[in-house]
Amino acid sequence: MIVAHFETAAGGIRREETLLRRGRPAVLLWTAEHPALVVPGSLLGNCESGQAATEAATQGWPVLMRKSGGGVVPQGPGTLNLAMILPRPQGFTIDDGYRLICATIAEALTRFDIDATTGPCAGSFCDGRWNMLHRGRKLAGTAQRWQGPASCQVVLMHAAILCALPETMPWHLIERLQSPQAPDAPPVTKAAHVALDDLLPDGAGAHSFPGALIRAAEDRLHAYRPRISQMA
Amino acid sequence: MKTNITIPTDLWEEDEQCTITVWLASDGANVTEGALIAEIMAAKVQHEIEAPASGTLTILKETEVPADKGEVIGFITS
Repeated sequence: MIVAHFETAAGGIRREETLLRRGRPAVLLWTAEHPALVVPGSLLGNCESGQAATEAATQGWPVLMRKSGGGVVPQGPGTLNLAMILPRPQGFTIDDGYRLICATIAEALTRFDIDATTGPCAGSFCDGRWNMLHRGRKLAGTAQRWQGPASCQVVLMHAAILCALPETMPWHLIERLQSPQAPDAPPVTKAAHVALDDLLPDGAGAHSFPGALIRAAEDRLHAYRPRISQMA
Repeated sequence: MKTNITIPTDLWEEDEQCTITVWLASDGANVTEGALIAEIMAAKVQHEIEAPASGTLTILKETEVPADKGEVIGFITS
């Protein structure tokens, strides 16, 4: 099975943390059956966020906490998660991590004739410098977690790829949850996003995409093996 | 002897600031070299800071306050 299916996003996050603790190169593709909004713990510390979290839960989007940075990420059947774990090669920077995971996704998309770029996307969830964009709309968000002492750090690179945009997505609640972190950011809107389903309308490509993605990820991690073995 | 705790300079490439998300040891606490004492967030990445020496921790930079690459955020007196 190429994609691991979890009942909730908490299961996928736990699996990623297990792989991070092991510290060996690894690739994980996963999705969650039930919708949820996953947020960094720092976003849940104020009253406004707490009220938004309660409202989201009543609308079928419970809020779960994660340890990596960024903003709110919608999880559920419409989100495909790619996790790549790599012992940090010497001189490897945060930007190298983003370049690695974004290039992996871009390579898989290219196989389906989908062009993609990286950059910020106003109005998107969990915005940053390293979104995957298709013609200016956000297709995937990325984040990382680095663990361990400087001498033997392990890097977890993560991407949440939008496969479908549920009609019930609570965009206004995503914005309310994110607003304490970025009060001047533009409103979060559906129009700022695009999903694989929109780009692969025949359905066949959507089934093949995870395979292309995991091959691209394994190839790219494999390319780092000489540098990792030099460190050992 | 005083040993500074600094934000690493080689983690990210842009001149972006980071934020200390949590101090895992209190001001005035005794810490051991290599122990995790803080976590910072930069470019959506959480990164762990370890004690560069054993001794008494003095915190100079509180959580949620922006910090620059190479900035001294505390020190350890041994």
